Amino acid sequence: MISSSTLAFPTLRIRSPSLPSSSSSSSSSRPSRRLLWPRCATTAVPPPAAAATLYDVLGIPASATVGEVKAAYRRLARVCHPDVAAASRAAPADEFIRVHAAYATLTDPEKRAEYDRRVMAAAASSMASATVGRRPPGPFYSSSPRRMWETDQCW
Amino acid sequence: MPLWVPERSQVAPAACLSPSPEAPRALSLFSSSSFLPLPNSQCLVWRTDLLVISLFRMAEQPYTVASDSETTGDDKSQSAFHDLAIGIEVGTSKCSIAVWNGAQVELLRNTRKQKSMRSYVMFKDDTSSGEASSGGASNKTAYEEKEILSGSAIFNMKRLIGRADTDPIVHASKNLPFVVQTLGIGVKPFIAALVNNVWRSTTPEEVLAIFLVELKTMAEVQLKRLIRNVVLTIPVSFNRFQQIRVERACAMAGLHVLRLMPEPTAVALLYAQQQQQQQQQSLHGGMGSGCEKVALIFNMGAGYCDVATTATAGGVSQIKAMQGCTLGGEDILKNVLYHLLPNFDSLYSNRDTNKIRSMGLLRIAAQDAIHRLSTQSSVQINVDLGDGTKMQRVLHQSEFEEVNRNVFEICEKLIKLCLADSKLAAEDINDVILVGGCSRIPKIRSLVLGLCKKEKEYEGMDALEAAVTGAALEGAVASGITDPSGSLDMLTIQATPLSLGIRVHGGGFVPIIQRNTAIPVRKSTIFTTTQDGQTEALIVVYEGDGKMVEENHLMGYFKVTAIPLAPKGTAEISVCMDIDAANTLRVFAGAMMLGTDRANSPFFEVRMPTLDDAHGWCAQALVKTHGSALDLTTIPKELQPQKVQ
Repeated sequence: MISSSTLAFPTLRIRSPSLPSSSSSSSSSRPSRRLLWPRCATTAVPPPAAAATLYDVLGIPASATVGEVKAAYRRLARVCHPDVAAASRAAPADEFIRVHAAYATLTDPEKRAEYDRRVMAAAASSMASATVGRRPPGPFYSSSPRRMWETDQCW
Repeated sequence: MPLWVPERSQVAPAACLSPSPEAPRALSLFSSSSFLPLPNSQCLVWRTDLLVISLFRMAEQPYTVASDSETTGDDKSQSAFHDLAIGIEVGTSKCSIAVWNGAQVELLRNTRKQKSMRSYVMFKDDTSSGEASSGGASNKTAYEEKEILSGSAIFNMKRLIGRADTDPIVHASKNLPFVVQTLGIGVKPFIAALVNNVWRSTTPEEVLAIFLVELKTMAEVQLKRLIRNVVLTIPVSFNRFQQIRVERACAMAGLHVLRLMPEPTAVALLYAQQQQQQQQQSLHGGMGSGCEKVALIFNMGAGYCDVATTATAGGVSQIKAMQGCTLGGEDILKNVLYHLLPNFDSLYSNRDTNKIRSMGLLRIAAQDAIHRLSTQSSVQINVDLGDGTKMQRVLHQSEFEEVNRNVFEICEKLIKLCLADSKLAAEDINDVILVGGCSRIPKIRSLVLGLCKKEKEYEGMDALEAAVTGAALEGAVASGITDPSGSLDMLTIQATPLSLGIRVHGGGFVPIIQRNTAIPVRKSTIFTTTQDGQTEALIVVYEGDGKMVEENHLMGYFKVTAIPLAPKGTAEISVCMDIDAANTLRVFAGAMMLGTDRANSPFFEVRMPTLDDAHGWCAQALVKTHGSALDLTTIPKELQPQKVQ
């Protein structure tokens, strides 16, 4: 089963070709992720479970207005953008990419509606089983559910 | 000189890493150069040292050279800002340097008290030092425009750097006083300066490097510290191949490029700072958020024209869209020259010194006329071309606008494209910022303001200093400098001006990262094979926005191997592109195990561009050698693990 919490948090940091591959310490159900983007063994990225939805990524309620989304995005950008965070953080690029992805989806009315329909509804319905944010089979993905790992970030 | 010997030995591998033949040549030029006016005897040692380090850096960051810390260790105490990056704008015609001085951005002046210095390198025969040179930043005597146009100086390097000899811009540069030769075979053009009645060859990168050494030295003397990190502004339309050439020129000059910043984004950062300060003063804006202001930035200098839109609030400026092209004062000047002298080309096809001199005189007269037309409706041109011909005539504003109609049309197109890309209407724009020398031309001002439906342009920015000021701000922000008063409390979120993607079967271009995507960014797409049992696939990376690969710039290529045996169209090859905050592009690719999302074997990671010269040939050679045997193709959209567009 794929929980979107792990999907939303690829702890990716490409630093050098000779990265140690954190082989079997997989908390993720998708081992290929490490192969695609070698992860740094010790990154200072916040725990994946912290944010399950794009709203959580920006730290705003699902009812937030576009203005609030933008304000939250700017506030976070000033903390996690590599230009300002380079000195103090290990993997700032990933954090910013995640924040930007959330912003890009939630400021586009169409994408936001689609996201709300697809993910938020599912999150609400699956609350009982405590798997927050589990993705329901969408119309596009039902045929190949195994490729869904990227959709959550709405690239 | 005990440090010297081991460092010399390091020069060899560093030069090997850099595939360009001019790198070692410039190394020897600078390491042996005593012409650099340096304050103490140690300088020669550290200068070479830094040069070596920079070349290593360019190749791959993880290399560290032990002497790096040795040499900078002494200087650490001298200044809290020892690593602070300075901002440099090397324009086609003028250049300037600026630095964050702890409270604000300060533009440095040369010994002639100029903040804006002419960009050129004069080649003189000097038996004592071999290849002495002098740019606009030099401490030596300034050269007059007449001498710069004598054929002995190379200028306009920004228009030549990183271009092949098939490029129309290179061909258009043939009317310059120095020699630009092309063979039309997709290699670096041959350029040469006149020294003692001999055309001595050089390269645009070498010229830029020499010029940067002069700038670096000037800044070091004034700031009394070593300069290593720089933020350099570049035109929006520079592709990654051109950017690499600029970085290489910097490395030759001992400078490490912290950021290459498209000029309008540097202006956007300055705008963000000004908005932030205004808000703090008026206290109307809320904390951090404030109301969003949208600005259109139009920048046109001597060589390039850029347009960008940016949304700014709370000190964060986000680039919405960018457009740029190679269009500037040089084109306007050329149009005027051909208007004044329709047989310009045939007159100057044979380059003897007298012809070059009269060509120079005409250029000066035309340039002067264009400048005066910014404030006058007509100007009188009186020039003695020296070879018995005199030109006496009046040039009217309307005439000028007519001969440059194509220039204005392109400007208009760029602005419309940029607005469309950023999904903005003229009414959405709060401020129109006009920068660059050509923004003084009345027709261009009225054109930009008209398209944006504005009466007035944004005030409070110097058209010639805005970009370099923004670069210095970025230098301070990216160097980790903070300012207690909040003057550095801002950020520009950059975007990619050109799409990045790969070639697919039939020569089509499939973008993986679309243009105007915020960076840092990481995106991937799944491709599939075109042959039954295809075990290898060629990943050919291009940058640009053309539908076919020929219209775009080749960045490099590599082969993905170990594709599982499968009928065509079923194997899956994942191609992922990653751009970090410093705008470095890495491509990851590999085959997936059939029916799973696991990699079949280790993926490949390639930093792009990997190409050097003759890149025009590579694409053709690949097709000739491999045909379509290693081609990839897209998979149907509904099977793509992409976002819901």
